[in-house]
Amino acid sequence: MSAAIRRSLGVVLVLFGVVLLVFIILRIIPGDPVSVMLNEHANAETISRIRAAMDLDKPAALQFFDYVGNALRGDLGLSYDMKQPVLTLILNAFPNTLKLTVLAAAFAWISGMGAGIICAMYPGKFPDHLFRTTSILGISVPVFMMAFFLQYLLYYKLSLMPLVYDGSLFSLILPALALSSASAGSVARLTRSAMMEQRDAAYLDTVRAKGLTRGRALLRHGLRNAIVPVITLMALQFADMLSGAVITESIFGISGLGKLALSALQTRDMPLLMGTVLFSAFVISVGNLIGDMINRVLDPRLSV
Amino acid sequence: MKHRASKSILTAAGLIAAALFLGACGQKSSAGSSDWTEEETLHIAINSDIVSMDVHKTSNDYLVPMNVFDTLFTVKKTDDGTTSIEKSLVDDYDISVDGLTYNFTLKEGIRFSDGTPLTADDVKFTFERMLTLPDSQQTDYAISIKGARELLDGKATELAGISVEDGLHFTITLAEPFSGFLAELATPSASILSRYLVTSAGDDFGNLPEKTIGTGPYIVTSWERGSELTFEYNPGYWGEEPTVKRVTVKVMDATTMNMAFQKGDLDIIDCDNLDSAIIDQTYKTSYANSIVSVDRLGMNYLMLNEGIEPLSDVSVRRAIQMAIDRQSILDSIYGGDGKLEDGVFPTGCLGYSQDNQGWLKYDPDAAKRLLAEAGYQNGFDMELSLDSGADDARKNVVQIIAQNLSDIGIRADVRSYDHAGWLDLRNSGQMPSFLATWSLDFNDPDNVIYTFFGTKENTVIRSDNYPDEDTIKRVADARAIVDRNKRMSEYAALEKQLVETDAVWVPLFSLKHLFVVGDKIDSFTPQWAGWSDMYFTGVRLKE
Repeated sequence: MSAAIRRSLGVVLVLFGVVLLVFIILRIIPGDPVSVMLNEHANAETISRIRAAMDLDKPAALQFFDYVGNALRGDLGLSYDMKQPVLTLILNAFPNTLKLTVLAAAFAWISGMGAGIICAMYPGKFPDHLFRTTSILGISVPVFMMAFFLQYLLYYKLSLMPLVYDGSLFSLILPALALSSASAGSVARLTRSAMMEQRDAAYLDTVRAKGLTRGRALLRHGLRNAIVPVITLMALQFADMLSGAVITESIFGISGLGKLALSALQTRDMPLLMGTVLFSAFVISVGNLIGDMINRVLDPRLSV
Repeated sequence: MKHRASKSILTAAGLIAAALFLGACGQKSSAGSSDWTEEETLHIAINSDIVSMDVHKTSNDYLVPMNVFDTLFTVKKTDDGTTSIEKSLVDDYDISVDGLTYNFTLKEGIRFSDGTPLTADDVKFTFERMLTLPDSQQTDYAISIKGARELLDGKATELAGISVEDGLHFTITLAEPFSGFLAELATPSASILSRYLVTSAGDDFGNLPEKTIGTGPYIVTSWERGSELTFEYNPGYWGEEPTVKRVTVKVMDATTMNMAFQKGDLDIIDCDNLDSAIIDQTYKTSYANSIVSVDRLGMNYLMLNEGIEPLSDVSVRRAIQMAIDRQSILDSIYGGDGKLEDGVFPTGCLGYSQDNQGWLKYDPDAAKRLLAEAGYQNGFDMELSLDSGADDARKNVVQIIAQNLSDIGIRADVRSYDHAGWLDLRNSGQMPSFLATWSLDFNDPDNVIYTFFGTKENTVIRSDNYPDEDTIKRVADARAIVDRNKRMSEYAALEKQLVETDAVWVPLFSLKHLFVVGDKIDSFTPQWAGWSDMYFTGVRLKE
């Protein structure tokens, strides 16, 4: 139990560090949110008036502690650029990101693990070669090319799929496929190599001696042992996708966390950028925690 | 153990399924099922979402103000390429001889789309809000009214220059005469809001479609941030009924937009959002008959910062003016879709003077001689600051300019900044030289010349650092000249002084703005100054 408390405390510390870091970086890089907001219509008077209205004329340290104080009370502030509460913007964007992530993860893991298992069961045979090649392809083709290819084929040529996200789950299939290809490739390769290790393990001989075929032995017993590193990878992938997939979101018009964070950076929108980074850091920390716990359940040795 | 593991996997699978299901249910259905058919619907796309529907909180996104709200006056493009101002919400008006007092009568019976009547008090409210909203971006459009300065500085609680006589009649008094005032009233920046609706909506005004209510031809029915806006015809609209009854505006990147248009899922595509290669190879060939082009009232210029050595030397600036081969840039990068400009005011802008055109010729040899006379026979190093967010065409123009400069011995180093960093440097007055565009907000010479040379602060923020205080004062004073002919000849004289004599910038060209329209479109009239934001009433669909 104390381990859980220790870890949670660690999470809080990480979050504080993240906030401080983002704040400092935003101070260092050039660019002023009010100038971006006014763009071509800037004049000196308007800039200083709006800066004052947004408390940007206060000393940096004061701004920082104001921010932290408000954040602790659950108030992440108003977005400079979008004029809405940061929390509202994040909570509106997160469901889109979550749906995309869950769908992409489902595609990636089912196809990746399936391909990895088949490869391991027929090493050196045709399916092994086929899936090893496609998994390399999945990992190395950039997401925007994959997206373009999918849009061109399934929307433009075959008229089977909508071009961009329209709110329906159906329209999330293309972005999820594009986003999942790299993860699927990694999962396939890791599953294969982990299973291959088990294949040569001594205990499998014992199992086979009990009368199971090689394939069955591998599936029933080898898989259980091979899956631990795969789950760790999956947890990392999941957390990564959950913090926003900028390119996929931009191409398919999905208003998710990635797009929100990118626009916050471009407009030097401090509260929004802090909010999105804080939220992602929180999600990733919690994700790691959960990933650990699942592994402990699957492999009790880790708890000792 | 075995059971626990499979149970947790089952739970995880269950959670994922639940998340997907909940996600599907949580999806907002678009507000109110639409009565309008696909034939009456216009589909367009923009490349980045608007930030606010509240016109006082943005000076970049006018799609909502232009279509959901109305202004007192409106601008029509005339056949000779310039513009005329016509009455919109205003039924009648007169201006006193001294140019200070404007009496207005509103049209009778105009209502906001929820039924709230429009009154003269709403006009007063609108201009007071422009000045008192802490983060207002539109103070410039009310500042010429008497008492505006006091209200902005918090020394008054009311705008003294607007008096409301009754529901339909009001008078605006200016602090000093300004003949561009009606043109200012005709910009979307001066959209008329309702005191009652804005006050009762509070922070939701401009954020929630159902709380952002105007008198205009359309109602915003939904705004899914970052992905889509939809509009529907306002059945209570006082003006002529448009053929477009419903509009969807999707946020798309260039490649996606291109694919959607070619597939027929977009009805108008804005070539500003496309790669110039795609425009040349696809649209100018296969869609040549579907291109709609409008002359932009916008000036492209290369700014030369007089605060930075050796650009402070007028001979050096003149040499640079002559060194740039503007015609070949226009032809090679923009396919000739534009016109060379030699002054401050672009073609179509009031104050544009034919006499100030035609004097600037490409002459690298003369430029070299001039540089040598100024003591720079070996050239010098300078920076060309580039906004990395600029489109391909603009980046290519900067490269050609650097090449042109190197031909006369100037070693121009093109440095990229991200958009925010670029603005930061320019606003500090320290940007040495850069390519930019000024598009007119309202058609008056003041809108261009005052922005760059009207005050000392403006010369800093535009990084021109023009030092001649007499000329700066004349630019500011020209606002208040009542006699139209006198005013225009003063602007012509100022233009000649600034560009020809003092070589403040290299005037480049004004460009056409190209759009391509799909099969459904009968005709399309873009906004008068060639903005990307369009009036949907300017689109006529085929029967």
